[in-house]
Amino acid sequence: MSYLPLANILHHKLRSALSAMGIAIGICMLVTLSGLSRGSLYEIADRWEEVDAELIIYPEIWGRNLTTLSGSALPDRYGDKIAAEHSRLIERVVPVFLWPIRLAGQDQTVVGVDPQNFNMLVGGRRLRQGRLFDPDGRFAGWLENTLLAPAGEDQEIVEITKDQLADTDHNGLEMVIDTRLATAGGYRLGQKVFTANHHFTIVGIVPAGGLARAFMPRRTAQFLFGNGDITKSTLMFIKLAGGGEPAAAARKIKRPGTAVMQVDQYRGMLKDKFGIMFTYVDAVNVVAMVIAFLFIMITLYTMVLQRTREIAILKSSGASNFFLIRQVWAESMLLTAAGAAAGVALSFLAGWGIEACRPLLTVTITWWWIAVAAAAALLGAAASSLYPAWRATRIDMLEALRFE
Amino acid sequence: MIRDQETLIARGLHKSLGKGRARLHVLRGLDLTVRRGEFLAVMGPSGCGKSTLLGVLGLITPPDEGTVTINGLAITDGEVARTALRRRIGFVFQRFNLLGVLSAADNVAISLRVRGLKADGAADELFEALGVAHVSRRKPAEMSVGEQQRVAVVRAMAHRPELLLADEPTGNLDSKNAASLLELFRQINHRRRQTIVMITHSAEAAGYADRIVHMKDGRILDQ
Repeated sequence: MSYLPLANILHHKLRSALSAMGIAIGICMLVTLSGLSRGSLYEIADRWEEVDAELIIYPEIWGRNLTTLSGSALPDRYGDKIAAEHSRLIERVVPVFLWPIRLAGQDQTVVGVDPQNFNMLVGGRRLRQGRLFDPDGRFAGWLENTLLAPAGEDQEIVEITKDQLADTDHNGLEMVIDTRLATAGGYRLGQKVFTANHHFTIVGIVPAGGLARAFMPRRTAQFLFGNGDITKSTLMFIKLAGGGEPAAAARKIKRPGTAVMQVDQYRGMLKDKFGIMFTYVDAVNVVAMVIAFLFIMITLYTMVLQRTREIAILKSSGASNFFLIRQVWAESMLLTAAGAAAGVALSFLAGWGIEACRPLLTVTITWWWIAVAAAAALLGAAASSLYPAWRATRIDMLEALRFE
Repeated sequence: MIRDQETLIARGLHKSLGKGRARLHVLRGLDLTVRRGEFLAVMGPSGCGKSTLLGVLGLITPPDEGTVTINGLAITDGEVARTALRRRIGFVFQRFNLLGVLSAADNVAISLRVRGLKADGAADELFEALGVAHVSRRKPAEMSVGEQQRVAVVRAMAHRPELLLADEPTGNLDSKNAASLLELFRQINHRRRQTIVMITHSAEAAGYADRIVHMKDGRILDQ
């Protein structure tokens, strides 16, 4: 092994391994935390982008924030009205009702949707198991007849019990969940789950990737979470007729009191809303990387102090300062390269582990972040070797070679 | 005036070592001239400054006062010049100073690489001549003391130095190996007109040299 830096690394195996491991942990943190924070957030955006629609209409009062939007917000008839007004522009208006519920030990947004619009929200994914809720519209019809029929003289107050909702004739308390929620909660087809103060039956499991992880009949959501008012939804998706330009359509459809957002702007809105989280994560990453490279610097510095004789021998043979700096720098680079490679491998392992233990989290390891980590490692290695390398050039040869 | 046949000229060298009260004035106005192709032995009692002299001549430590000129280049000509001069010198250290993480062959190879040279077979010949070819793949810790010293000699000579400085090169060798090393020095000195300055305690070793000078109290007695 004539390449001195590599020979030194191999000669001090434990110390080299520990130094590389320090870098590996720093790189792993950088790649995994970035992948986890961005992956989990952008996975939501990915799911919204799966909806086969171009525009979202919601109450203007929410500003540019759909992330916490839920409950009764827009009258359903508003959808009918704009569909009629812009019949050549709009192919379809799909009202949905959003509400936070708790499943698999964490908050989920359940989406209330009419069965005929379900496919549009899940990007055409076919159910992997079971069936869709209220497939023949019996429940919706029954609820509409019960609540929206003109009240007679002896029927001013309508009461619907839990038993009536769950009646097999109506099938109102049914839910379709996605595969990741099923894995996370250990839910099976046909299982009854208790949430939002009701027992729901899981009647179908859809591959993950659609708008939400849980879906139920819109009428159920409206009735349960909208104080019995089944005339309002939370927002509406608009599918434009072929060739419709979303931005222009949004301007046309927009009316006072409502806001229109393009579906492909949802990601940007999430970034604006939660971008600060990336700042925190990136700050933690920077600290981790600085610590990792301080570790490398200490290792190299110790190495220089321990190898004064070796450096003096090279110097006495005519090694230039540049040659000595290059030796220290090369050792730093080799340790860092090994650490970075191990760190990237660890990141994939950590990502797999996180998703296996917490199926609702998403770790997206991208080449971009691997490149960022590699560049940071390269710069860090170069920077952390500067002082030790400089010290190497200042070594007193006489002292190191112990004359007299 | 620098005469062409003079490889090394040292004038008025002073050198102190240590700090404060422990500071020791080791070289005290030393003058030395070594002619090109000369094999010079420097003898003297322990602590008289022999190794310090070699350190100054080998550009390992600068003198406090005085000048050293090697083949017309003064060692005060700046760090770049000093580095260039070091590449033209071969140094055999008293304690071998081989790099522990490299094999014998790699110790020689890196010494050549530092000097911007490539192995041209001279090292192999030296390994053979000094009887250490069989340890060329071994690391210093796997060699005997004598083998280490001979490898150190190979390293010092593989680049055909203009000046070979040797600090007690036979100090750790048995008489047979010491004799063969000194014989090699003499052959190289005769065949290549290799200039050699050797420090030794041994009158027998000094007997191989063309000229012997004695040191005492930091000065050459019989320059």
